[in-house]
Amino acid sequence: MIYFDSAATTLQKPPEVSRAVRRAMATMTSPGRGEYGPSARAAATLLACRERAACLFGVGEPDRVILTANATHGLNIAVKSLVKPGSTVLLSGWEHNAVTRPLRSIPGVRVRTIRAPLFRPDLFLEELDRQLTGEVEVMVCTQVSNVFGYVLPVGEIAALCRARGVPLIVDASQSAGLLPVRLEDWGADYVAMPGHKGLYGPQGTGLLLCREGGEPILEGGTGSDSRNQAMPDYLPDRLEAGTHNVPGAAGLLAGMGFVRRVGPGRLLRHETDLKDLAGEGLERLPGVQVFRTRGPCQTGVLSFRVAHWDTGALADRLSAHGVALRAGLHCAPAAHETAGTAETGTLRLSFSAFNTAREVEGFLSIMRQLV
Amino acid sequence: MYYLIMCRSLTYAQRVANTLERAGIPARILRSPAEISPRGCSYSVRVGSRQFSRTLTVLAQKKLPYLGIYVGRTGAGFQEVGL
Repeated sequence: MIYFDSAATTLQKPPEVSRAVRRAMATMTSPGRGEYGPSARAAATLLACRERAACLFGVGEPDRVILTANATHGLNIAVKSLVKPGSTVLLSGWEHNAVTRPLRSIPGVRVRTIRAPLFRPDLFLEELDRQLTGEVEVMVCTQVSNVFGYVLPVGEIAALCRARGVPLIVDASQSAGLLPVRLEDWGADYVAMPGHKGLYGPQGTGLLLCREGGEPILEGGTGSDSRNQAMPDYLPDRLEAGTHNVPGAAGLLAGMGFVRRVGPGRLLRHETDLKDLAGEGLERLPGVQVFRTRGPCQTGVLSFRVAHWDTGALADRLSAHGVALRAGLHCAPAAHETAGTAETGTLRLSFSAFNTAREVEGFLSIMRQLV
Repeated sequence: MYYLIMCRSLTYAQRVANTLERAGIPARILRSPAEISPRGCSYSVRVGSRQFSRTLTVLAQKKLPYLGIYVGRTGAGFQEVGL
């Protein structure tokens, strides 16, 4: 199989990730439930995971790195901590349902959306400047569109939010492991990310970086402050009820070790090289529209569509030829509306460290037969 | 005689213990005894009496927060150390 769906989940992982998961399952229990060896090892693994994330993503103290089940979990905590009923929230226009659905669940929230063309960060910032007015209470922005790989100018967005005193939530689902993610340099309130994409961890892992505290969306045991029937008022305990996914954290720790060793810049270059190779090949085919730009505005995520082809039908045909990619709206109807592709959806290629140019050539060869 | 540095969470206790270990001070994490932990389930870092002075210096240098420090004597319970 040629696997080009890493924007959903990286399938191939560094071998040390599964080794770490297996070791954790065999030798660790729950942290904070005892002083015996397996519990102490679990506690040490969680702390190491937090410390590595704090180092990678510019968080001063590891206590402010929350272990979540995925980015959606972290975004729910972030949104529900900052957005109150009736609040006005400004969105980038490229958001995933992981942002828009939690917002929709809060009564009376007014959502404003920035609509600026794809791959035009200059126009995005102009529109942001117009729309980031006094009524806006929270801004939520993805760093990279999961549909188009469009890199939003988060540094400038964060600076404007800081200047106007507007709290910022960043969705780093498609950027963590590839681009600089800097909670404190940005002055963001929360940054959420999954563990199972660009950080090469297992599914069921994620991180929420917090500037301060937050409101729990799950209450329960924390192994601390047990007589108190309210959740502890300190991190990470306040936002981590119940038994941790220790094998997941062990795998994520190993995945982040891989990212650190190879280097996010090198990983990004590899993926964008594959994206450009695929894009150039697709552009030569009749009736194919490719959503692509060169330079720093796009990661290794590439959307395209083909005239007279239903995206789902073409994805099925490609799957029958052994190519795994994602078709449709990618859980991001808002992004498709902004790009003008909501009617058809797109087919999305997304790469990882383990893809090769040969796989891209193989995919292009199949496409030449099909369209 | 030994000292317990009581911390508000396991993560903080780990950070304190790791920092002390890196400074060459043997430190062990344990559940706080109920006598000093009326709110239930907290964690403490145990250090030997001969290391206590250096422990205070390291904690101050690294600005690591803690809830309190107790001196423990076998069979005689715990007493909070006023600093």
